[in-house]
Amino acid sequence: MMFHQITLTVNGSLFTVMVAPGDTLLEVLREKLGLTGTKKGCDTGDCGACTVLFDGRPVPSCLVLARAAHGKEVWTVEGLSGDPGFRRLQENFVNRGAVQCGFCTPGMLVAAFVLLRTTPRPTEEEVREAISGNLCRCTGYQKIVEAVLAAAAIPEGSRGPDQLSEGGDPANG
Amino acid sequence: MKKNFLYFEPATVAQAIADLKESGAGAWRLAGGTDLLVRMKRREINPDALVDLKNIPELAGIGAEESGFRLGALTTVAALLRNEEAGRLFPALRQAAAVMASPQIRELATLGGNVCNASPAADLVPPLVAAGAQAVIAGDDGTRTVPLEEFFRGPRETVLRAQDILTAVIVPWPSKNCRSVYLKQGIRRGHEIAIAGVAVSLVRREKNRLADVRIALGAVGPTVLRARKAEEFLRQHTLSEAVLAEAGGLAALAAQPVDDIRASAWYRREMVRVLTIRALQFCLAGGGDE
Amino acid sequence: MDKRIIAAGTAEAENRFRRVGKRVPKLDAWEKVSGRTQYIHDLKLPNMLHARILYSKYPHARIIHIDPSRAEKLPGVKAVITGYNTPEIRIGFLNDNPVLKKDKVRQYRDEVAAVAAVDPDVAAEALELIRVEYEELPAVFDPGEAMAEGAPLVHAKKGTNVLNLPWQFSAGDVEAARENSAFVVEETYRLTWVTHCCLGTAGCVADFHPNGNLTVYTPTQIRFLAQRDFMKVFDALGLRGKKVNVVQVKAGGAFGSKLDTYPYEYITILLSYYTGRPVKLVFTREEEFFATPGRQPAIIKIAQGCTAGGQLTFRDVKMILDNGAYTSWGATTPTVMVMPVSSLYKVPNIRYEATCVYTNNIYCTAMRGYGNPQITFAIESQIDTLAEMAGIDPLEFRLINANTPGEVTPQKFQVTSCGLKECLEAVRAGIGWDEKKGRGGGRGVGVAALLHVGGGARIYRSDGCGVILKMDDFGKVTVLTGATDMGQGSETVIAQIVAEELGVKVTDVTVVNSSTDTETWDVGAHASRTTFVAGNAALRAARQAKEKILAAAARILKHDAADLYLEGEQIRSFSQPGVRLELAKLLRQMHFAGGGQVVVADYFYDPPTEMLDRNMSGNLSAAYTYGAHGVEVEVDRETGQVKILNYVCAIDAGRAINPMLLEGQLEGGVAMGIGYALMEELKLSNGKVLNPNFLDYRLPTSLDVPKVQSVIVETDDSEGPFGAKGIGEPPAVAAAPAIANAVYDAVGVRLRELPMTPEKILAAIEDKS
Repeated sequence: MMFHQITLTVNGSLFTVMVAPGDTLLEVLREKLGLTGTKKGCDTGDCGACTVLFDGRPVPSCLVLARAAHGKEVWTVEGLSGDPGFRRLQENFVNRGAVQCGFCTPGMLVAAFVLLRTTPRPTEEEVREAISGNLCRCTGYQKIVEAVLAAAAIPEGSRGPDQLSEGGDPANG
Repeated sequence: MKKNFLYFEPATVAQAIADLKESGAGAWRLAGGTDLLVRMKRREINPDALVDLKNIPELAGIGAEESGFRLGALTTVAALLRNEEAGRLFPALRQAAAVMASPQIRELATLGGNVCNASPAADLVPPLVAAGAQAVIAGDDGTRTVPLEEFFRGPRETVLRAQDILTAVIVPWPSKNCRSVYLKQGIRRGHEIAIAGVAVSLVRREKNRLADVRIALGAVGPTVLRARKAEEFLRQHTLSEAVLAEAGGLAALAAQPVDDIRASAWYRREMVRVLTIRALQFCLAGGGDE
Repeated sequence: MDKRIIAAGTAEAENRFRRVGKRVPKLDAWEKVSGRTQYIHDLKLPNMLHARILYSKYPHARIIHIDPSRAEKLPGVKAVITGYNTPEIRIGFLNDNPVLKKDKVRQYRDEVAAVAAVDPDVAAEALELIRVEYEELPAVFDPGEAMAEGAPLVHAKKGTNVLNLPWQFSAGDVEAARENSAFVVEETYRLTWVTHCCLGTAGCVADFHPNGNLTVYTPTQIRFLAQRDFMKVFDALGLRGKKVNVVQVKAGGAFGSKLDTYPYEYITILLSYYTGRPVKLVFTREEEFFATPGRQPAIIKIAQGCTAGGQLTFRDVKMILDNGAYTSWGATTPTVMVMPVSSLYKVPNIRYEATCVYTNNIYCTAMRGYGNPQITFAIESQIDTLAEMAGIDPLEFRLINANTPGEVTPQKFQVTSCGLKECLEAVRAGIGWDEKKGRGGGRGVGVAALLHVGGGARIYRSDGCGVILKMDDFGKVTVLTGATDMGQGSETVIAQIVAEELGVKVTDVTVVNSSTDTETWDVGAHASRTTFVAGNAALRAARQAKEKILAAAARILKHDAADLYLEGEQIRSFSQPGVRLELAKLLRQMHFAGGGQVVVADYFYDPPTEMLDRNMSGNLSAAYTYGAHGVEVEVDRETGQVKILNYVCAIDAGRAINPMLLEGQLEGGVAMGIGYALMEELKLSNGKVLNPNFLDYRLPTSLDVPKVQSVIVETDDSEGPFGAKGIGEPPAVAAAPAIANAVYDAVGVRLRELPMTPEKILAAIEDKS
C-alpha cells in the first residue's frame, strides 16, 4: 500500500496523518483523529450524518478523499461546540426536543449552522431546504426546524429566552 | 472501496493529460467525486489510478467570453447556484441546480462531473442542451469544441477519449426574449433523482409565434434527448392550447423510456408530455425569470 | 405551547403536578448535540478485531462446498468461520434459522461464512477470497404459489411451506351478520416490504473473556431476552456455568428492528470465541437494507358490513403473510393485527384468520406498529367506502361506531380509558373537516382512527419491568431500570415520574439502563409499553422510597408521617408550613446515625394482563390507546403527485408525562407513516433487494413532511403511571389510510396498495376516466 502524508487543520489544530489513497475524510476524522461525533450513516453521501465544514462549506465527509483534504480546514461538531452560534443551535435542539436517537444530530447541526451564517433570518422553507440532505427517522424534522428558527430568532451575543434547562422551570424544581 | 491506487494531482490540463496517458486504461478522472466515489465503494469501479482535476485553475471559473458564458468544468453546483449572473441568464440551469441531489452534495458535485458521468438523469444536462451549450474538450492533440448534445453516446458513454478532459461548457448568450425552465418529476421533494426532466428554452417572434424553441428530455432515454419534432411543430404553428398539447404529445413520442425500479416507461413518457406542456406554458406566460 | 384536550371527567394535570406534564428536555440531549454519545460504531475495545459476513448469491441453493483456505491465508485474517467448522446454533422462535448456513441457503441474504480480521477492509477483502460452490434450486417468491401443491419447499423437513401457526379468532356469527347487513364491502389490500432505516446501522461487539464469560455490547431493545438467547452459544460450544452480560449501547434508531437477536450477533460471538479477542461487526448501509428484517408484507382480504344507519355489523379478515425464509417476529404480527380487527369500533361479529407462508424472500420482524399499520390501512380505507355506501360522512360514521370507556370488546379487551371520540373531534376541528370534506377540485380530506396496546402486551410469560432505586447522601436519585431508551426519551419520562413522587428536580434523577449485570429484568422496548410498564415500576419504587424517607422524617421530627410530604428537596408538613427538613440532611442523618440506613427501593411491576388464548382472546394489555389521524391533501391530476397541506394527529395518551417528547413521537411517527403511505418500498425481484440505498429507498426528507398538529387527549387511565398510556407506535399506524381516504376525496380513486406513488395514483386516475 502506498501511503500519503497529508496535513490538514481540524477544529483549529494542525494534524499530519498518513492515509491510503482510498481513505475518506470521514475515516480520518473517526478512525485516526478519534472525532467520532461525525457519523457514518450510509457512506454514499445520501444521509448527511457525516456533514462537516470543509473550507467553510457543508459537505458529506464520506465523499471526500482524505488525500484531497490536504491543506484544507475542517470543522466538526466537537470543534464547533465552542462557537456561540453553534451553541445557540445546540441549546435550542436540546430545549425544543429536536433530538431523539441523536445519530443525525451532529450533521444536522452543521447543516443548520451553515444556513444561519449565510441566512441569519431564514424562513421555514429555507430551513427545510438547508437540512433536506440530512435524513432523520425519529423526529419528523418538525422540532429540528423549530429549533433552527428559534436559534435564528435570538440576537447575537444574547443568552436568549430559553431557560428550560437552566432552571426557572418548575420541572427542574 | 479499493484502498490502493495511484493518485495524481496535476496542476495544469497538459499535466492531467500526461498523467492520464501514463496511467493507462485503469485511470479515472476525479472531480467532485460524488458519483465516482460511490461507484468505487460499490466496487463497480476499481481504479488503478485517480487523476484529481480539482487543482487545475484552467478548469475553474465562471464568466463571460466572446462566444458565450463559460462555466469551468470544476464549477460546483452550489457555486453555480450562488452565481447571480448565471442564474439570471439561464434560469432553467439554476432551477436544475437547485433541485439536484442534496445541498451537501451540491457543494462537492461539479458541472463537469455531472456532464461527464453521462447519466441520462443528470439534472444539469437538459437545460444546457436546451440552451445550445458547447463542450470544450482538451486532448493531447489540442482543444476542440463539441455541441453538448453530441457529447453523449449512451448511458455513461461520451465522446471523450482516454486522455481527453472536459475543460468547460460554453453556453451561448441567450437572446433578449429567451425564456427557459426546467421541470422535474420525482417521488419525493428532497434529494431526488429525476423520473423525467424537461428543459425548454424558447424565443418568441411575435405574440403567438416562436422564433426558436428547444426541448431537452432527461431520464427518458439512453442520453438526454432533444424533442425535435415537437420543436419543429411549435415553430411551424401559431401557438394555442391545442398546439401546446400536440407538442407535448410529440415530445412524449421522442422519449425512449424504459421500465426500471424508479418508474415505468409509461409513466415516464406521460410525464414528458405533461411537463413539456407545463414548461411551454410557463415560458409563454412570460415566466423563466422566476 | 402544547395542544391538550382533557377528556370529560378527567382531572387537569397542570395544577396537580410539578414535573409530570412538563416539557422537560431529554436528559441525554446535551451528550447527543455535542457528538459525545457513544454508539456501537464508536465503540473500541483493546485488541479488537473486525468482522464481515459473506452472504448467499442465490435465493435458494444447495451449498456444495465452501473453501475458506485462501481467505485464511490473507495477512491480517484471524478466523474464517462457516457452518462446517462451527457448531450449529439455530435461532428464531421456531428455531428454523441456523446462524451460519450449512447444506442449503434459502434467501439471498443467508449468512454463509464470516471473517474476523485486523481491520474491516482486510475482512472485506478476505470475503472475496472465500470460494462457495452452489447448486441453484427452484425457488418460490409468491406466498400463493408457495402454498400450492408441488411448490419448492423452503424447509424440506417441514413438508409444507405453511407455518404451523394457526392464527384464528372469531366472535359472533359473521355469516348471519353479512346476510343481515344493509351494506357490505369486500376488497383485497396488498402491503409490501418496508424497512426501519435506522440512521445508525446495526452492529455489536462480542467479547469472550479468558474466563469463558461473554460480554455482548449491542443497541438491542431486549437486553434480557437477548441474554437468554445468547446463552445458546454456551450450549453449542459445550461451555458450562458461564455468564452473559448484555451491555446496552445507545441506539441510532431502533423502531422494532432490534427486538430479536440475529445471526450477525451470534457470528460475532463465535468469532470472538475462536480468536480470543473482542470482535466488532457493524453493518454497511447496504447490509442494513438487505440483511435487517423489515416490516411484514401482507395480502389482506377484508369484508365489513353495516346497517342502514351506519352501525358496523361484522368484520371478516383473511390474510396471507409472506414470512420469508425464516421466522422472526414478523410471523407473530397477527397477534397485534387481530386487535384492531376485533376491537377498533364496536363490531359484534368478527372473524379473523392469518396464514404465514415460507418463501425464498427476506424475512421480517417487528416494525413500529407490529402489523397494525398494515391491517389499519385495510380496515380504515374500507370504512370510508362503507360510509359512502351508507351515505354517511366518514367522520360521523366513525363517531357512530366509536369505542367507549368501560367497554369489553369481542376479544375480551377491557377498555379502561378511551378518548377516541375526542380524537375524532380534534381531527374535525384541526382539519376544518366540515368546510373541506367533499369539495373536490383536486383537494381532499381524510381521517383514519386507530387502536393499539397502551399498557404493555403479554406476549411472553412475563410482561414486567424491574426497577432498583437508590438515593445518595446528597438527595440525588439513581434509578436502575430494566427498560431501554432507544431515543424516544423513556429515561427522561422515568426521571420525571420519580422526581414527581420524591419532590426532587428531574435533573437530580439519574436513570441507568446499562447492562443485564446491573439492572433487573424487563421484557423489552416493544408494544409502546415503556412509559406504562417501566413508569409504573419506577413510580412504585419511588413510593417505597418515599415511605422510608417519611417514616424516618417522622421519627426525627417527632411528627405524624401521614402529615408529611416531599417537595422542593424537602420534607414538609401539610398542616404546619413551618415544619421543614432538607431531604439531603435527612438522608445523611439516616446514613450516619447509629445502625445506619440508606434509602434503596426496588419494584417489579408486571401489568394485570393476560396472554391470548387459543381463540386469540384475552385482555392483552392493561390499557388501550386510541387515536385519529386527519389530513388534507392536494393531488396533481396530471402527475399523480400528492402534496400534504395539513395534518392532525390526535392521540389519547392517558396523560402526557412530557408533552414535548410526546409530540416528538407523534411528529416522527407521522413522518414514518407518510413514508409508508407515499414513497417507501423495499423492491424485491426474485428475492433480491434491488434498492438497498437511501437514493432508491426514499425516506421522507424535511421537504416531504408537513408540519403536524399534535393533539394530546388526556383520559387519565386508572392503571397508568399518573394516568399515562403508551404512545410510541400509534402515530405511525393510521397515516396511510388517512392519506388514502384524502386522495379518494380529492380525485375519486381508491388505492389498495402501498406506497401510493404518483405513478400508481395517475394510473388509477386514468383507469377511472
